[in-house]
Amino acid sequence: MKEPTAVVGQRVMPAYGIAKATGTAKFAPDVNPPNVLWMKILRSPHPHARILQVDTAPAQAMPGVAAVLTYGDVPRVLFGPYENELYPLDQEVRFVGDAVAAVAAEDWNIAEEAARAIRIQYEPLPAIFDTEAAAQPGATIAVLDLPDPDSTSPWWQDHAKPTFRNQTTNVYSEAPGAPTVMNRRGNVERGFQESDYVVERVFRQPHMNGVAHEPRACVAVWENDRCTLWCSVQEPYKLANAVARVLDIPETSVRVVATILGGGFGVKVAGRFAILCALMARKTGRPVKIWFTREEESMDSHNRPALVHYVKAGAKTDGTLTAFKIRTYLNNGYWLGKSTSRLAHGMVNHIMDLYHVCPNVLWETFVTRTNLPSAGPFRGRSDAESHFAVDTVVDELAHAVDMDPLEFRLKNRIREGDDLCSSPGRVISSVGVEEAVRQGAQAIGWAGRQRVPGSAPGPRKKGIGMAMVIHSAGGQPFRGAAARIEIDDRGGIGLFSGTSDQGSEQQTTLRQMAAEVLGISQEDIGGTNADTAICPRDTGPISSRTVYSTGIATVRAAGDTRRQLLEQASKSLEVAVEDLELGHQRVWVKGSPARAVSWAELAGASGGLIVAQGRFNANEGHSIPFGFAATFAEVEVDVESGEVKILRLVSSHDVGRAINPTIVEGQIQGGAAQGLGYALTEGFHFDARTGTALNQWFLDLRTPSILDTPDIEPIMVELPEPTHPFGAKGCSEISTVGVAPAVANAVFNATGLRLRELPMTPERVLAAWQHARGASR
Amino acid sequence: MDPLTQPSKFSCAVDLKINGVSHHLDVPYNWTLNDVLRNRLELTGTKRACDYGGCGSCTVLVDGMDVYSCSILAVQSQGKKILTIEGLAKGAELHPLQRTFAASYAAQCGWCTPGMILSAKSLLDRNPDPTEGEVRTALSGVLCRCTGYSSIVKAVLDAARTLREEP
Repeated sequence: MKEPTAVVGQRVMPAYGIAKATGTAKFAPDVNPPNVLWMKILRSPHPHARILQVDTAPAQAMPGVAAVLTYGDVPRVLFGPYENELYPLDQEVRFVGDAVAAVAAEDWNIAEEAARAIRIQYEPLPAIFDTEAAAQPGATIAVLDLPDPDSTSPWWQDHAKPTFRNQTTNVYSEAPGAPTVMNRRGNVERGFQESDYVVERVFRQPHMNGVAHEPRACVAVWENDRCTLWCSVQEPYKLANAVARVLDIPETSVRVVATILGGGFGVKVAGRFAILCALMARKTGRPVKIWFTREEESMDSHNRPALVHYVKAGAKTDGTLTAFKIRTYLNNGYWLGKSTSRLAHGMVNHIMDLYHVCPNVLWETFVTRTNLPSAGPFRGRSDAESHFAVDTVVDELAHAVDMDPLEFRLKNRIREGDDLCSSPGRVISSVGVEEAVRQGAQAIGWAGRQRVPGSAPGPRKKGIGMAMVIHSAGGQPFRGAAARIEIDDRGGIGLFSGTSDQGSEQQTTLRQMAAEVLGISQEDIGGTNADTAICPRDTGPISSRTVYSTGIATVRAAGDTRRQLLEQASKSLEVAVEDLELGHQRVWVKGSPARAVSWAELAGASGGLIVAQGRFNANEGHSIPFGFAATFAEVEVDVESGEVKILRLVSSHDVGRAINPTIVEGQIQGGAAQGLGYALTEGFHFDARTGTALNQWFLDLRTPSILDTPDIEPIMVELPEPTHPFGAKGCSEISTVGVAPAVANAVFNATGLRLRELPMTPERVLAAWQHARGASR
Repeated sequence: MDPLTQPSKFSCAVDLKINGVSHHLDVPYNWTLNDVLRNRLELTGTKRACDYGGCGSCTVLVDGMDVYSCSILAVQSQGKKILTIEGLAKGAELHPLQRTFAASYAAQCGWCTPGMILSAKSLLDRNPDPTEGEVRTALSGVLCRCTGYSSIVKAVLDAARTLREEP
């Protein structure tokens, strides 16, 4: 049952809403210090090459050029957004668009001209782009010189020095020929023997670009041996760590400000553009600014990886799943692959936790390096990668055993207290998936769907499909969370948290939780976020962790604030703590509200300031949360044009407890819209011969417009998560995950066609329709 | 000294009336209106996401019409009346669109928001009582990656109602 609350659960105004609607919100590209130099990066035209010679003299001779950096001018120190696996600049360039040099000049036009004037002599090297080809023995090696994965320490343990070896394989793995990650339980061969039905299918998914609308920017200022960066970065503390490593200065000498980002979605992580900006600021002694073009934002980014899944799965006639045997090739691009192996770990484990009843699993994934931009986490990380293939195969098996696909999924689902293969030794704390499925089914009219797929006459065929979804909800063991609350003697109340706001308005949600504990309005709370000089260290807004992990830390900080206020009031009023009440920025004696003292006075009596801190380490509990959801799509497929029109999209979510329902619904709708892009139109494509990006522009990336997007219907199922003080869990990514399989299953219900390649373009639908008609003739 | 702020053969004089204030500027020929707003006048409320007319984040009103500021040169804006997001509120009193966008969470990351709001203002100035379909058509020149658009449509319809009801 939900406890009655005054602030938590209310649709209060988002904290940054007015600033964003009036144009006063300050993003990194909006920072224009006086005397600033503009930096431009020169990028490789080759997918793979070694730099033989660099002549920067023509650039340096141009009026207005302040400095040039090439690989010889930068420290050979590894850094990384997740693992230390990159150099600021390197002699080996690994994809079309890889950074080769940086120029700082008085104006961006001069910087661009000067970058073009640098003369580079390249030795082109053989390149490889296809993930399956890259996994074969004897394949062209995509990246020759890499740190030895065995000696690459995690980024927070920088004592170990990396060693190097020439690579002989493109697969990131512990042993030659071994997959990068594997999920094995039971015995799949025995499982298939016990199956009544077995299907074998191949699925293909393209790269997907994040397309955050704010192109990343960084402004670096070097002053008094300290470096300050205003940067579009989701994890400001990791950037501070990376800058400190490369510049060889203490991390305490680096300040990163990343309060508001124009979108992130997992893609805005510590990038080399920011490292180069910091190096350039130190070299020139002037503020240096870089702001990506759209082309750079697309290209020098990481993408949801392109994937090929070979899936074999079986079921019994009673609707029990018997076995999954999956082999996946994941196109990692030019990074080492250690970061991406975490993504792959989630991919092979989470959804097999969702189908916990299935006793036999063997899922091998090969993370392969190629000469393409890197793969990395993008909204719905791990699970958007897995659900399209697994959920549509589950749907197919349900039809094979002649069972309602909804009941088939629920029969095989995880239950509360089940152990988790994704987190060995832990159990799942709450499972609201059945309620999410049932409420979504009712909303879409599941019972009234067409029973025989493809049976409707005419060229425009309607159908309904669903997907059942699992995704991280905040409990994963990252670096931990912290929040600080301060009350000053003028009555100011500040909440300081280390998470950037990429649009999900975490500050509103965190302030609502703190306000609830303190008996005040969230509007009474100020403070700021994601300024590493004044906010406590936090992992940042990734993997839907903030409302859960930073939320718990915030509630603890609020609890400590409350304790300090009451103890100080007990001294001031000479009344026992038990006889005091607190709220409305006052403490008073129970039953005698006139005997009161204000928080400002209490702060004054505490030396001018009350400071309270709360921490949370995700490792502390035995049970951890996951988010669950069900996506339902109603489509109309025009088999003459191949167009798939979305008539309705219902996105039903086990959110634990919605701290701010307006924000939760907005996150559900926005995530689902990105899922719709993945299903129908998006995909980041590269020339098969040269590796050049083919569609780095908005109109070619085909993100859904207002005319492509239906009014997405969010449903919030509120079953409180027992490990969170207000019952909340993360929900900002999960709605992205289920859309592609739900649409594919709806297309099947409408037409009888199974589409196994994304996006489901008119060409592919039409080809499938014509193929099926040809086969039936 | 910024060489490009000095008068030269590469620049010319332009008169712009921005948010009711007249500016006499010397601007390089190749600068867009967006360059001038963001980098000369510090009006960074006008955003830029692509610089080639692909997304609409940079939309401003030029003589009342919604225009991509990245796709019009500063010199082409000579003598025009320009409204940016900074000029929409009347002092401390926000425009209804600004209130409804904030309250409906129609501004998630906020990068498309100024363009979206100005495009909506252009619509409501022409058509004070639009249907949902008319709102969607009018705003189709501005892309949003965050919201799925439902909250934006709601914010525009709510603001239209407020504007009709206000005297």
